[in-house]
Amino acid sequence: MTISSAQQPTGTARRTAATPSAQESRVEEAFSRARRHSGRVRFLKLTLPVVAVLMVAAFVAKSWLATPEGVSVELGSTAIEGGRLVMSDPKLDGFTRDNRPYNMTAERAIQDIGNASKIDLEGIAAKLPLDDDNWVTVAAKSGVLDRDANTLGLDSDITFTTDTGIHALLRSAVVDMASGKLETSDPVDIMLDGARIEADSMRISEKGAVMVFENRVRMEIDAKRLQTAANAEGDTANGGTNEN
Amino acid sequence: QEAGRLTGLKLDGDKPIQIESDHLEVRENDGVAIFTGNVSVVQGPTLLRSGKMTVHYNTEGGSATTGSADIDRLEVEGKVYVKSETQVATGDSGSFDMRSEVLVLSGKEVVLTEGDNVVVGCRLTVQMSTGLATLDGCGKQQGGSGGRVKMLLKPGSQNR
Repeated sequence: MTISSAQQPTGTARRTAATPSAQESRVEEAFSRARRHSGRVRFLKLTLPVVAVLMVAAFVAKSWLATPEGVSVELGSTAIEGGRLVMSDPKLDGFTRDNRPYNMTAERAIQDIGNASKIDLEGIAAKLPLDDDNWVTVAAKSGVLDRDANTLGLDSDITFTTDTGIHALLRSAVVDMASGKLETSDPVDIMLDGARIEADSMRISEKGAVMVFENRVRMEIDAKRLQTAANAEGDTANGGTNEN
Repeated sequence: QEAGRLTGLKLDGDKPIQIESDHLEVRENDGVAIFTGNVSVVQGPTLLRSGKMTVHYNTEGGSATTGSADIDRLEVEGKVYVKSETQVATGDSGSFDMRSEVLVLSGKEVVLTEGDNVVVGCRLTVQMSTGLATLDGCGKQQGGSGGRVKMLLKPGSQNR
């Protein structure tokens, strides 16, 4: 390996004329320092990107592992925007306490890098167990999912439809998926088959078995609903015709 | 016993019922919906007011919360006030059976007024589909005025 004179550090030239061997050792020493330096550079050039990649992988893994074992998160494409992790069309599946599955998809999920448990969701569509064998599908513009507490806070217009024919419009709601509770202090409008309930606040608990409405409760029951009850007995009791 | 034509108090089968209250609790397992606080039930000209109303669903078929069950009977309590076009009846508690369409209003003093005529007894039974009403005195239950019905008729009201 030839060393061209240009590389010699200029510093040594000004010293007193040392013996040739001292001069050589100084040159030798300067050269080895340079070589070590470039070795270090080469080493760093290689390791830094690898470390960066490892860190990102560790972050994704950590947020993956941080979810309660019942919840699996499938991320569409992931991007970092303004220090926040933006996932497009994520799918999330979880289990309630009596391990009935619920699943949720969103158009976008945005998560602070440091805080894996809270996810802002946009364009939410969820299917949650209502009671033992009924389901409720939820569609909402936006909300926040708290994975530790297993709750979904919805802060804009929401529609709930159950497979038993209930169609509910709410303005906000907090859904506790683990214990099957839902609460809202904004007006609700619930359309059942042949009846309609409106109120300014609502609490659903015991997985849909108990619904409590408060503040200006208004319920309307269609006439056809009364007919069926009356006719069921009407023909025997009084000929069933309303003569007056 | 005092039987009289009570034309006003009648349910029209084809009009929806509007119910309003401060609070409503629907309990599916018990098949009930409990309205409490300024309960008012309106159907056509007929109005019912009370402090509390319990709607009993028959739960063989559907379920209360999903609303697919039919209404079996309504029970009202707490200053019950029933008004129709021409009559007003008040009592302490009442029940209305959807099947037989019979309204029973009972209490220490059930008052039935039509215009200026007032009839007082302890138990008013109205067959809502025909409007036929019978008012029983209080004697039998609490030994009040010997089971008699007090009736106050304003002279000259009979030729109305």
